[in-house]
Amino acid sequence: MSRYFFDTDDGDYRSQDDEGMELPDAEAARVAAVDALPDMARDKLPDGDRRTFSVQVRDEGGAVIYTATLDLIGEWHIPRAAS
Amino acid sequence: MFDALIRKLDMAGSLTEADHQTVRHLSLRSRQIPARQDLTCEGDRPENVHLILSGFACRYKVLPRGKRNITALMVPGDFCDLHVAILNERDHSIATMTPCMVVEIPRATIRDLTENHPRIAHAMWWATLVDEAILRERLISLAGREASRRIAHLFCELLLRLQAVGLAREDGYAIPFTQVDLADMLGLTPVHVNRVLRDLRSTGLIVLAQRRLRIPDVTRLKAYCEFNPNYLHRVPRRN
Repeated sequence: MSRYFFDTDDGDYRSQDDEGMELPDAEAARVAAVDALPDMARDKLPDGDRRTFSVQVRDEGGAVIYTATLDLIGEWHIPRAAS
Repeated sequence: MFDALIRKLDMAGSLTEADHQTVRHLSLRSRQIPARQDLTCEGDRPENVHLILSGFACRYKVLPRGKRNITALMVPGDFCDLHVAILNERDHSIATMTPCMVVEIPRATIRDLTENHPRIAHAMWWATLVDEAILRERLISLAGREASRRIAHLFCELLLRLQAVGLAREDGYAIPFTQVDLADMLGLTPVHVNRVLRDLRSTGLIVLAQRRLRIPDVTRLKAYCEFNPNYLHRVPRRN
């Protein structure tokens, strides 16, 4: 087991993890990171047409070993009054 | 041991002194159980009803792929499984989350109390209905509250439930769960729980340190998650 740290960002709030989580390996950390993205998106959407959610995984030494990013891109295909 | 049981049943508001005496004369035994141990498992045909005297326990199910879902949290004074007196097979498991002191009440005792002591039966029915109401509120959280309000709501609920048994101060209590426990309780991922707790702390809604939760402004936290304590049914019906 190793400790991994997960920094998350939804464009409004960036959370720096100083606690971390014990996980069997880097692959488990990757799964935990990707798994969190729908939770983060669910809390924010719908809100605008552009948003990026990201989770960055650091190992115990502080090295970034993985980043998962989820982009929302909403596009109109009909004329819209400028708002 | 009897005090905890009486206090729980008394919340229904129907017990008389004679009922208290009946409870005090029950033949019960209590057991100390380490943390994270099953009290009973799905599929068991249980013979005892469990009452938590100290510590936290949970009701849970594990999905085939291994994901644990916690559907209820039991605090001191709570019955884990009053229904086993009636049901043939357990459809979920119950485990301790921390070291627990647990009273075992034989099925036959529960049956005797329900059949021969109507006010005690009424109180046990009340306890079951409140458990159901808590579960209902949890379902609403899962379906309709964003993660930060879901967590805030649980914290507000636990404040009231623990205050009722003298285990919380006015503004907080010891919180022995891990982030994984909270995730399994609230249908969230541990990474998101970690993020949301940090966010709640950064806005000053909660203070978490050394496994103690402090709520600097209880009214503000309740307003934040639109907490309405009606489902805990703390006001007994008198007529």
